[in-house]
Amino acid sequence: MQTEQSTSVRRHRTSDWSGFMVSASVGALVLWAYVASDIDTGRLAESGGRIGAFLDRMFPPDWSVLPTVVESSLETFRIALLGTAVSIVLSLILGVLAARTVTPPFIHLPLKWLLAAIRAIPLILVAMLMVGAVGLGPLPGILAIAFHSTGMLAKFYAEAIEGIPSGSLAALDSAGATWVQKLRFGAWPLVAPDLVRDTLFRFELNLREALVLGLVGAGGIGFYIQTYVRTFQYDKAATLTIVIIVFVVLIELLNHVVRAALK
Amino acid sequence: MNPIMSAHSSQIDISDLTFSYSGQGARILDIRHLSIETGERVAFIGATGTGKTTLLRLIDGRLLGWAGMVEVLGRTLSPRRAAPRSWNANIGFVFQEYALIERSTVYENVRNGRLGRTHPALSLFGIFNDRDETAITEAINDVGLADLADQRVDQLSGGQRQRVAVARCLSQEPSILIADEPVSSLDPTSAEKVLDLLRACAVARGATLLISSHQPKLVAKYVDRIIGLKQGMVAFDTAADAVTAEELGSLYGWHVTQPAA
Repeated sequence: MQTEQSTSVRRHRTSDWSGFMVSASVGALVLWAYVASDIDTGRLAESGGRIGAFLDRMFPPDWSVLPTVVESSLETFRIALLGTAVSIVLSLILGVLAARTVTPPFIHLPLKWLLAAIRAIPLILVAMLMVGAVGLGPLPGILAIAFHSTGMLAKFYAEAIEGIPSGSLAALDSAGATWVQKLRFGAWPLVAPDLVRDTLFRFELNLREALVLGLVGAGGIGFYIQTYVRTFQYDKAATLTIVIIVFVVLIELLNHVVRAALK
Repeated sequence: MNPIMSAHSSQIDISDLTFSYSGQGARILDIRHLSIETGERVAFIGATGTGKTTLLRLIDGRLLGWAGMVEVLGRTLSPRRAAPRSWNANIGFVFQEYALIERSTVYENVRNGRLGRTHPALSLFGIFNDRDETAITEAINDVGLADLADQRVDQLSGGQRQRVAVARCLSQEPSILIADEPVSSLDPTSAEKVLDLLRACAVARGATLLISSHQPKLVAKYVDRIIGLKQGMVAFDTAADAVTAEELGSLYGWHVTQPAA
């Protein structure tokens, strides 16, 4: 009994020490980032006037560009929507194949590595490659969004499928269900709410990320962000900012309503 | 009479069976001979880890990697290949933890029992034939859940969920009805109701009934034969009303005190 108590106390102390080490390491990392970045906080203090002047030039917004900004925002919306749609199709296939509980390790392990690699490639880089491959316009943007978001969405789908209790599918197996029937009647009812939630979340992310696609010629409102800011037309940039804010808030509201309905 | 019964015999024959999980030396099953005739009601009893569930999974055709000879419903099972879908449908299995689709309704869960019998492609679009519909409705009525048919199963009590699991099994119109620890998590009253239901359904459909349980005294009232398993081997195989205290004692490690002469 004495031995058990001693072991227990020693483990507890080890655990406390580990916690301190983790906190100290994170603190040291943040400190290194600050020092190595050579940040001059004095410049931040002096920037107040310049920010004021910048805001002064933004207001009142120039509403004459509203039709152009709304149309290009809708193009961004279409890019995000089509990119997400293609990504859903790819992710459903890859997600099922990457699920540990569905396929053997020689299939799901390489697929998971592939999805991790896709996630690691920045969207802007994918967009530049797509522009090089298929030319300017919304198409490279759609392809870039589809490729980039499949890395995350397929991983989410695979995890949702892996979370299905094995007994539920074993019961269908026992009843003589085919593989497809097991997916349709066993897996789908259990994972559908998760898949819809994950997909909506990814669509919201795609929409925000699609805003910058125009910077590299891949369509949408990004082109105007670049044009107005670089030519110092801050009043037009203000209209653009307001439209983007309204746009994103509307999508978030829609998302909120759908998620609440899924509970 | 169950139409499936006319086409199959539900005899189970097992000879020289051994099974151990890969990487583990200990034998989970080691049965020289076991035979169960059509329409018999049999309980497998024994301590945890004695191979009851493994044996039932073997009879259900879901266990691979064993050695020996296993014949169920006229089919010699393969230790390397899963049995075909049409054969699977003849054996109903009530899982210990119910194994229901939590977000689906009672009706949908019971309908899942028909998946091995219905058209595999049409069913994906929700198209089931009249015979499927009849079997589903009868199964729900038999377990007394008609009023809750459209209720999601995650809103039901433990006893009700167990009845859904039984109904799913019945909708298969099985020749062999297997129930793995069907009452382990139920209170005594609910447990008796479920065992009563399983026996009544098996009798009405002429199906063989196999139950595993930790409650020998309780299940003895509902079966004709009790097989005691110890370390994967058949310790005794006797009529339900003939099991002795010594036999139970040897199974569970109890010390049976003889009354003084």
